[in-house]
Amino acid sequence: MKTQESMPTTKVARSAKFIETGFRIGGNYVKHFSKKLFNPDLSRDELNEDNAEDIYNSLSELKGSALKIAQMLSMDKNVLPKAYVSRFTQSQYNAPPLSGPLIIKTFTKSFGKSPEKIFDTFNLNSIRAASIGQVHVATLNRKKLAIKIQYPGVADSISSDLKLVKPFAFRLLGMNEKELNIYIKEVEERLLEETDYELEVRRSIEFSKACSKLKNVVFPVYYPELSSAKIITMDWVEGMHLKEFLATNPSQKLKNKIGQALWDFYNFQQHELKAVHADPHPGNFLITPDEKLAVIDFGCIKELPENFYQPFFSLILPGFMNNKAKTIKAFRELDMIHDDDNEKQIEFYHKSYKEMISLFALPYRSKTFDFSKPEFFENLYAWGDKIAKMPEFKQPRGVKHFIYVNRTNFGLYMLLNELNATVKTDTFQSKID
Amino acid sequence: MISPEQIKKHYIDYVLTNGEAPKSVYNFAKSLKISESDFYKIYSSFSMIEKKVWEDLTLQTLIKIKEQEVWAQYSSREKMLSFFYSYIEVLKTQRSFIIYTLKNHTKRLATPDVLSEVKPLFENFAEDIINEGIDSGELTERKFISKHYKDALWIQFAFIINFWIDDDSAAFEKTDEAIERGINVSFDLFKKSPLDNLFEYGKFLSRNSKFREKMGI
Repeated sequence: MKTQESMPTTKVARSAKFIETGFRIGGNYVKHFSKKLFNPDLSRDELNEDNAEDIYNSLSELKGSALKIAQMLSMDKNVLPKAYVSRFTQSQYNAPPLSGPLIIKTFTKSFGKSPEKIFDTFNLNSIRAASIGQVHVATLNRKKLAIKIQYPGVADSISSDLKLVKPFAFRLLGMNEKELNIYIKEVEERLLEETDYELEVRRSIEFSKACSKLKNVVFPVYYPELSSAKIITMDWVEGMHLKEFLATNPSQKLKNKIGQALWDFYNFQQHELKAVHADPHPGNFLITPDEKLAVIDFGCIKELPENFYQPFFSLILPGFMNNKAKTIKAFRELDMIHDDDNEKQIEFYHKSYKEMISLFALPYRSKTFDFSKPEFFENLYAWGDKIAKMPEFKQPRGVKHFIYVNRTNFGLYMLLNELNATVKTDTFQSKID
Repeated sequence: MISPEQIKKHYIDYVLTNGEAPKSVYNFAKSLKISESDFYKIYSSFSMIEKKVWEDLTLQTLIKIKEQEVWAQYSSREKMLSFFYSYIEVLKTQRSFIIYTLKNHTKRLATPDVLSEVKPLFENFAEDIINEGIDSGELTERKFISKHYKDALWIQFAFIINFWIDDDSAAFEKTDEAIERGINVSFDLFKKSPLDNLFEYGKFLSRNSKFREKMGI
């Protein structure tokens, strides 16, 4: 892998990067419309592909929070055109690493010792990137360890990155920037939490303990004494990423087993812990040689407050939405229907959201659900496309908690879809008073 | 007999306590309970002590980095990065004094007098590393230009020191970023780039007369 050669870090340099991207996207549009003059049938796919590539290139060079945003956008496949998605999905694995001397410096700052004095062996070449850091392999007492090192200045640049990415990302999504500040703040909070590696180690230990009884889900051991604000040391987990796993042609039974582990992992957290690992992108999981699901990253945890949990999950209880008054009450509590909406608007949003939730909660309607079915996802996409064109949904609605909860559940669906898994969906029931 | 090291230490202490250099060598020697001529046997002036401080810190860094186990595996680029990361660590031990020695230097582009001993040390080091890089193919040799690579690195040196002096971020994290970024940019410029190919292509075209006739040049 090529080592990162330039990392624009000051706001000026980052701005320049975004401006450059802006120009290129402008150029892509010019190219598109001039081609369209001669060929009116030209679809926007090529344009989207061009744009996605430029955005991806610029974001992956920026690293840190910008890369995180790329990942976040890639989770919402229903909002983004397909071309964006395939480019963004790459950001989940590939980002160029930092120099060896800087890694040694980070260690010296944290522990007063260079890595080769702490571990028996330490490989200075990082094995992979982890969006706001990179992962190295080390050994200590014949144990293979994974060491995650955070890029310097990441926390510092998050706020400035978000300010820059804001107008840009939402033009992409076709939304108004001003009303989105509350959501941006939510994202900023989560991203800042992710830069706190000490917090991540504490949570990883807590969550792996709480989830230890789940079948077929395993966690690495974390070493707080070998971790710091910028470094996390944990056991190295042997295993394959989802794509590699699928390339080995696993049996349907095995795919179902892994899918079930995923489903249980998420639904146990949502309903038992009321806090959830909110970063379900494929890079955070491995399938171990003994056919278990290993969870290797607890950077992003979303806690579900009761005043969100209760109305949100009551909506997916069977028959709940047949009661219109109760449903509208829940929608109001979740800010999906605003206090100043008139009768007509209430009718409209009630109908639309009911339709959306019925669609989204389909896997919960039966005891088992086959996620390989393309119709389910096509319906979701179609619905996403439809509301993207509706002026009523131009402005965002719903409490801020939706961002991460939707991202989590949709991410889970996508993973299960990629696995083509059929899972039992009644293993963990919602706890509604 | 007093050692150069003792005089140096005492001088640093004096400057940091009083915020200025001693009024005279006579005064300073008296406070050390030595004669003026004892002082002059070792240093010709106060500014020589200051130069010596810089020189010692630089040498200390150069020795330290070469002692690292990974040193031999490093590329030229990594060696230069390693130098600066260690240098900043070493300078940190004398930060107040370092800032004092540069305080009176206002012309930021010219080399401060106090660095006159450091400059050849650094340039020698840089030249060794650049030559290593050219030999290994990591960097590209360019007529008339490659011998100025070290000058570009000296400018980086001045920039990084200035950046560090003004850096108020926790643990000087921003200086780390300045080093990572600045040195990488320099080394990117030193290695083979599309511009070299373009230049070579231009040379080829201009030599190829048939092509020139066809193009009507």
